[in-house]
Amino acid sequence: MRARALVRLWSIYGEPLWVIVNMGFPILSSLAFSLLYLSIGAGSYVGFAVLGGVMVSFWSNVLWSMASQFNWDKQDGMFEIYLTSPASITAILIGMSLGGIINTVPSAAIVTAIGWALFHPVVYASWGAVVLTFFLTLAALYALGMTLSSLYLVYGREAESMNNVLQEPVSMFSGVYFPSIGAFSPFPFAVQLAASLIPLTIGMDALRRSLFFGQGFSGVSLDLFLLADLSVAFLIASMVALKALERKGRTDGTISVRIR
Amino acid sequence: MSATDHVSVEVRDLRREFKTKEAPVVALDGISFQVREGEVFGVLGPNGAGKTTTIRILSTLLLPTSGTAKVMGFDVSTEPEKVRHVINMASGAEKAGYDFITAKKNLWFFSQLYGLPSAVAEARIRELSELLGLTKYLDRKFYALSTGYRQRATIARAFINDPKVVFLDEPTIGLDVMTARSIREFLRSEAKRNGRTVMLATHNMAEVEAICDRVAIIDRGKIIAAGTPDSLKRALGAPALVMEVSPPPKSFDFLTGVAGVRGFTSATDEERDLSTVQVVVGDDDAAAEAAKRVQAEGLKVIASWRKPASLEEVFVALVGRGFKEREEQGGD
Amino acid sequence: MLSFRSLFAAAWMGVQHDLAWTAPVASLLLNVVAPFASVMTVSIIYWFGASHGTSAFDPTHLAYILVGAALYAHIAAYAWVPTTAIAEGKNLAVFPHIYITSRSTAVYLAGRALSSFVISTVTSLLALCLAFFAIGSVLHASVPLLVTPLSLAMLGVALLVNIPGALGLGYLLGAYSLYASKFEWSLPGYVAGLLMVFSGALFPPTILPWPLSAGAAALPFTFFISAARDALIYGLPGEYAVSLAYCAVGGVIMLAVFLQVYLKAEKRARRDGVLDRRLA
Repeated sequence: MRARALVRLWSIYGEPLWVIVNMGFPILSSLAFSLLYLSIGAGSYVGFAVLGGVMVSFWSNVLWSMASQFNWDKQDGMFEIYLTSPASITAILIGMSLGGIINTVPSAAIVTAIGWALFHPVVYASWGAVVLTFFLTLAALYALGMTLSSLYLVYGREAESMNNVLQEPVSMFSGVYFPSIGAFSPFPFAVQLAASLIPLTIGMDALRRSLFFGQGFSGVSLDLFLLADLSVAFLIASMVALKALERKGRTDGTISVRIR
Repeated sequence: MSATDHVSVEVRDLRREFKTKEAPVVALDGISFQVREGEVFGVLGPNGAGKTTTIRILSTLLLPTSGTAKVMGFDVSTEPEKVRHVINMASGAEKAGYDFITAKKNLWFFSQLYGLPSAVAEARIRELSELLGLTKYLDRKFYALSTGYRQRATIARAFINDPKVVFLDEPTIGLDVMTARSIREFLRSEAKRNGRTVMLATHNMAEVEAICDRVAIIDRGKIIAAGTPDSLKRALGAPALVMEVSPPPKSFDFLTGVAGVRGFTSATDEERDLSTVQVVVGDDDAAAEAAKRVQAEGLKVIASWRKPASLEEVFVALVGRGFKEREEQGGD
Repeated sequence: MLSFRSLFAAAWMGVQHDLAWTAPVASLLLNVVAPFASVMTVSIIYWFGASHGTSAFDPTHLAYILVGAALYAHIAAYAWVPTTAIAEGKNLAVFPHIYITSRSTAVYLAGRALSSFVISTVTSLLALCLAFFAIGSVLHASVPLLVTPLSLAMLGVALLVNIPGALGLGYLLGAYSLYASKFEWSLPGYVAGLLMVFSGALFPPTILPWPLSAGAAALPFTFFISAARDALIYGLPGEYAVSLAYCAVGGVIMLAVFLQVYLKAEKRARRDGVLDRRLA
C-alpha cells in the first residue's frame, strides 16, 4: 500500500508540471461557470462553481488515474507483476488512492486559491463538518474508483471511451456546479435517488450546505452516514469484483493482452 | 531528376551530435560508405554504435550535423521529399501499426499515403502477404497478431510502395528462428529478384552472414571495417581459439599482453563455475601462447577448440573486445 | 504536397479510431452523451441561477447559452485531434512512418481533424436537439430556436467556414505535440476550457477584463458562435453575414500562420531528432 502510494508521490514530485497539467480543465471550467453565474445576476452562487472546480479535480483523478490505471498497467505489463506478487491487489489499489488524493491536492488547492482570489465567494462555514464531509466524500469517491478499475480490466480499451462517456454525465447528475438533489434540484425524485448512489452527489450537496449555508454536523449527519456506507460498500464491491474478474481474466487469458 | 548510376546510397563524412545536459553525444563521427543498387548491405555493431542513427538520417527522420548523405542521388538534407518517394523503412523493435484495425487495413492505409490507387494497393498487399506467409492473418486486428506476424506485417508495410531502397532496423529482433529465417529469405529475394537495395542495421552477426552482400562494422560512431563477410573473415588469419576455463577469473585482460592476440570476448557460466573465452589470434603460435598464459595464471583449461572465423571475431580483432564488453563499456 | 488520397485515407483512419471499438452506431450514440450532458449542465446552471438570482429567467438567454455550449464543445472536439493523433502515432510508433511517406504529415492531421469534424458535427447537433427536448421536460422551459431550412443552411455554412480556424488551432497544438513526450494528453482539457471562457460560448466576451475581452472578441470562434446564434435564435441575416465574414478571414489567417508554425516545428523536430521519440 505504502509502496504504491509512494510511486504516485514520486511521480508528481519528480515532475512538478503534473500540477499544472492536472488543474487545466478544473480551473477553466470553474472560471467559466463562475463567470456564467456572474453574467446572469447570480453572483452569490459563484462559490458553487469554485467548489465544483475543486471536486472535479478529484473526480477526474478518480476516472483517469484510478479507474483506468489497471488497464494501462495491463498494457505496460505491470499488472501481471502485481498479480504474480504476494501483495494484495486491494492494498495496491488503496495505495493508488492515497497517492492519487495527495497528488491532486496541490492542483485542487490552486483552483481554490485562484477561484477565491478572483471571485471572493461568500462563505458561511461550519468547518468541522466541511472537513469531515470532504474526507468522507473522497473516501467514497476513490472506493468507487477502485470498483471501476476492476471493471475496466475486462473492457480494455473501451475504458477510455467509458471515461469520456462518464465524466460529463456524472458531473451533471452529481450536481458539481448546481444542486442536483434537494429542494432546488431540477430532476425528478427517481433521478435524484439514482444520482445519490454516486458519492459525489451526496458529497457536493453536503459540502455546499456546510460551506455556504453553515450547516453543522447535525445538518449533514445523514449525508455523512450515507458517504461512510458508500465507502464501505464500494470497497467491498471492488474486492469482490477484482477477485471474480481476476479469475475470469485467468480463465480467458486476457490478463496480459496488450491493446495499445 | 538526377540519379547516380549503380550507387543507391552514398554517405560522406556523416556526423551527428546530440545535445544533452552534460557534454554533447557524438552518435556518428564522420562515417562514409556507398551501397550499390540491388545490394543487401549490413550495418553491424553493438548497441549504441550508431546504426539506428544512420538509418534515421538516411530515412529522412533526422538531419545530420554535418556531412552528406544521398539516396538514389537525392540529398536527404535538402531533398527529403524526393527521397521519401523511393524509400521505406521498418524497425523490428517497434512493430508499428494501429491496433484497432486489421493488418490488411493497416497496409492499405499506408499504401494510400504513398499515393497507390486502391486496386494496385490490394494487389500489392496480396502479393506481399503470400511472400511473407501473412495471408491467413490479414483480417485479424493488429493487436491480436502474435509478435511474429506483427513483424511480418511491419515488413510488408516497408515494401508496400515498391521502394527502391528499404531501411530495416533490427528486423528480426525477438523473433523465433523460423520466422526470422523466412523474413531473411524474403529480404534476400526482394533484393535479388527486384533489384531493390536493402540496408539492414543489426547486431545479429548470423543475420549479416546469412543475407548481406557487404557489411560495414560500426563502433562508437565510426566505421571500423567494411567489405564482404568472407573478405573480412579471411583477413583475420587463423581461426579463433575457444577455451573453457575454471575457475572463472575476474578478467582475461592478461591476454592482451600475449603477442599475436588481437582481442577476446568472454562469458561466465556461474552454475558450471567456468568461463568461456574466445581469443582472436593472428596465427597458430599466438593461439598456443594464449593457452599457456591462461594456465600460467593458475587456471585449468577444461576444453579448447579452434573456431572457424566469424564476424564476431572480426569485430573483436578490430576493437579488442566483443559486443557485450563494448556495450558494458558504454557504447551510447 | 496536398494529396486527396492521403487526406481521405487519414479521414478514414480517424473514423476507424473514433468509432471502431464498439458497433459504429452505438459508438456514435455514446459520443453524444458527453456533449449532451455538458449542454444540460450549462442550461441547468442558467436555470438555477436565473431562478434564484437577481435577473429574471429569459428563454432567449437560455437559447443563447444552449447554442454556445453545443458549439464550443464541437470546436474543441476536432481542434484537438492533431495533438492526439500525433501522440497516438508516437505511442504506436506509426508517426515516423507517416512522416517518411511522400505525403506531408500536415495532410494526415487535416484528414484526421476533418473526420472528427464530421463526427462531432453530428454528435453536437444531436446533443443540441436532445437538450432542447430535455429542457422542455426537465426544466419546463421552452427554448426559442429558429429551425427552418434557411436557418439550418446558415448553420451548416457557418460550421464549414469555421473549419480553417479550428484546423489552425489544431496545427498550433500539433506543433507542441511534435516536441512533447508527456502531458500532450492534457491539451484537450485546456482547449475545451479556454474555448469555454474565451469564445463567447456561455457569456459575452465583454464580461472579461480588458485586454482579454478584446482578444476573445477577435477570435474566429467567437464570430462563428455569434453567426450560429444569428441563424438559430435571432434570425438576423445581416449580422450573420458580418460575423461569418470575420470568422472566415480570422480563420484563414489562423490557418495560414499556424500551419507555418507546424511545418517549422516539424523541420526543427527532424533536426533535433524527436520525431520518433517515444512518449513517457
